[in-house]
Amino acid sequence: MPSPAIEITGLTKSYDGTVHALNGVDIQIKRGEFFGLLGPNGAGKTTIINILTGLVFRDKGSTKVFGRDTVKDYRYTRSKIGIAAQEFSVDWFFPIEKLLYYQAGYYGIKKKDAAPKINDLLERLGLSKKRDARLRQLSGGMKRRFQLAKALVHDPEIIILDEPTAGVDVELRRDLWQYLKDLHKSGKTILLTTHYIEEAELLCENIAIIDEGKILKEGAPKTLTQELGTAGITINISDTNIELEQFLSNYKYTLDDNRLHFSVTDPDQALPKIIKSLSEAKVHINSINSSRSSLEDVFLGLTGKGINE
Amino acid sequence: MNWVGFGTLIKREVGRFFSVYRQTVLPGLITSALYIAIFGFTLEQRISEIQGIPYTLFILPGLIMMNTLTNATANTSSSMLQMKLLQQLPDLLTAPLSGLEISLAYIIGGTVRGMVNGILVLFLGMILIGMPVQDPLGTLVFIFLVSWAFSSMGLLLGQLSESWDQLAMMQNFFLTPLSFLGGIFYSITMLPDWAQTLSFINPIYYMINGIRHTILGVSDSDVIISYVMAIILTIAFTLSSILLMNSGRKIKQ
Repeated sequence: MPSPAIEITGLTKSYDGTVHALNGVDIQIKRGEFFGLLGPNGAGKTTIINILTGLVFRDKGSTKVFGRDTVKDYRYTRSKIGIAAQEFSVDWFFPIEKLLYYQAGYYGIKKKDAAPKINDLLERLGLSKKRDARLRQLSGGMKRRFQLAKALVHDPEIIILDEPTAGVDVELRRDLWQYLKDLHKSGKTILLTTHYIEEAELLCENIAIIDEGKILKEGAPKTLTQELGTAGITINISDTNIELEQFLSNYKYTLDDNRLHFSVTDPDQALPKIIKSLSEAKVHINSINSSRSSLEDVFLGLTGKGINE
Repeated sequence: MNWVGFGTLIKREVGRFFSVYRQTVLPGLITSALYIAIFGFTLEQRISEIQGIPYTLFILPGLIMMNTLTNATANTSSSMLQMKLLQQLPDLLTAPLSGLEISLAYIIGGTVRGMVNGILVLFLGMILIGMPVQDPLGTLVFIFLVSWAFSSMGLLLGQLSESWDQLAMMQNFFLTPLSFLGGIFYSITMLPDWAQTLSFINPIYYMINGIRHTILGVSDSDVIISYVMAIILTIAFTLSSILLMNSGRKIKQ
């Protein structure tokens, strides 16, 4: 069985010996997986990424990429990773195309070998007209796309994206999402950190919810929302004099005037059964409303706070 | 060894200072020309020859050395600090490059700038006042050793500094005084005994006298000692900067 793309075991990190950024993190990301790290600011997401890529020293635990240690075999592991950092870098001296050639060079790719990939990236990311521009001349969205181009210039097998759509407009966000989906389809392993719930739900096959340096829960977004999220079903009925208890004893519900409100984990499964039970009770249904649970509900349930807090 | 990565970083470092040559190459040349014009031509009429050498000619090797070492130091220190402050350094630290490769590439970049500036002032002296160069190879070796040593020192300063203010402080309170007190404009025999003794612990004194010997054939110190000092400084600063880079201090957490 091939080793996972990323394997993190018992990872701890504290800054200045006092701020405990990571408290024993375990994560395994399979080859070709789209994995999301979901958590609020300061949860430890960027620290994990920085340890994987060599920007931060780990205190304890192990971090492996394709089965090889990120410290001992750093040349191998770093060559497999492309990272789009959250913070924009600034370079006053060179046009962006030249910066991409330099970036490819750091990864051991000669100029003539890098040219097709760089042209393709500039084209695909809508930067070809700006190839001679300096970074300061780009808009925020263009800078974000340049970050992505820089991460992909050496055609890495693992792409790490730290808040890739932070601060970009809706249209560009959708464009970037589509591009990330395409990359994933082409077989890339993607590790995404985000605090946009929608982004994680839409893109990731698996997610880990992290808060205060600990992984609180891990799994597929749908599984997590089914397991931990609470969805609501509200049914308006016409007759409240019927004895409902014996028909609805399997459900958590409240009756408020003629509104029946059910709290369920999976509304798709629960709704037909509830309707069947109400039919058996000969209750006339006027209307039905259901609200799906989201990762936000899961996060709220696990941490007791919202993700943007 | 990641040779392509190493070569790319050298190209970037050299390309960086050449892309702003008005800021990194021309000022040294203009300042040196002004020194020659103002200090040399005006004071030469009042100051008798030093060690049998006309005053303008006497100060030129010192100007070459000052230009060399300040430019070599400035290149690495400012480039490293700029990369830290402008978030460019993570691009290097997350790439498959070793601390040794990064350090050496930076040092070579600074050495090229130091040598370009030093050699340009050398040519300036040869053109403006017909400066003879007795030992051209020795002169080039000195310019090279001093460029390398101070480029390494600049890398140390750049990595240790956290702001432009800190870097400027180290340069203004340490490097510039040592350069001026190293005997650019005078022979230390003109100084009182205590000041002469102080000069002996100033490494730049040996650099200036070393290059003065290779150009003019005169110096306050033995040229062999100057060579030895230049080599010691080169090795010490190179090793220190590589060790500091490998430690990740001030650049990794």
